[in-house]
Amino acid sequence: MPKGTKICLAVVILIFAASAVTSFILLRPTKRDSSTESVYVEIVQNNKVIYKLDLSKEADRTIRITSDGGGWNDVRIENGQISVADADCPDHTCVKAGVLKYDYLPVVCLPHKLVIRFCGEQEAK
Amino acid sequence: MKTQRLTELSLLTAAALIVFIVELRFPDILPIPGIKLGLANIFTVYGVYRFTGKEVFLMVATRVILGAIFCSNFSALLYSTAGAMLCLAGMLLVKHIIPVKYLWLCSMIGAILHNTGQITVAILVMRSLAVLPFYPILITSGCIAGLFTGICAQLILKRNFHKEQE
Repeated sequence: MPKGTKICLAVVILIFAASAVTSFILLRPTKRDSSTESVYVEIVQNNKVIYKLDLSKEADRTIRITSDGGGWNDVRIENGQISVADADCPDHTCVKAGVLKYDYLPVVCLPHKLVIRFCGEQEAK
Repeated sequence: MKTQRLTELSLLTAAALIVFIVELRFPDILPIPGIKLGLANIFTVYGVYRFTGKEVFLMVATRVILGAIFCSNFSALLYSTAGAMLCLAGMLLVKHIIPVKYLWLCSMIGAILHNTGQITVAILVMRSLAVLPFYPILITSGCIAGLFTGICAQLILKRNFHKEQE
């Protein structure tokens, strides 16, 4: 194996190992329980927070969020969990993502620039 | 460009486009935007070692633009363009360092760069770092997918379909 290839291989292995470990940490579900404590989430559109909710106090409901381009996402709150119930975006990744359960991995709708994520208590008022 | 070369490139582009469209029908493994096998990249990696940079560029650009038109998904065009072009540029560079025998490695580097391009565009489009945590997950899946497509391209190159012509 030539020297250049060896260096490339080492770099790739390093990057792969580092991201595998990071992914493993990121993919651990959050241990928050909205029936016993306050769980704050924020809905962000175009990098602006449009909703800040406490899931432990929210009644089951569906919020329709329309985007500038005319698209929409139906955000559903049910049993203290939040998810995108339906949307008219082309990929439907946000719907398939299911309920928000990871600390660092938000539910994202790229075409509509929509992000649903957990946030701290101080920020939510 | 010789007619034979032009025909070969067109044929490969058409095949890549078919693979690309068929792959869209596959169910998602993980509900994270951007995770996919990228089977159409078999043709890109193959092209990198088979043709000149200009020729592969034409092939990839045609596939990306036609792919967006056929799937009528223009919001994805930006992501696929950024990913494909960064991936192509990187692979054309490391091609000089990595011999054909280790083509799979070149493909893995391409996959990492592809994900880097996509995430960069996503951060710019969303004007927020919210998508950044997806990056390591994309790289992990991208490396595995890149290894797979690289091995596929290597197997095709080994068969030397083009030997008789030259």
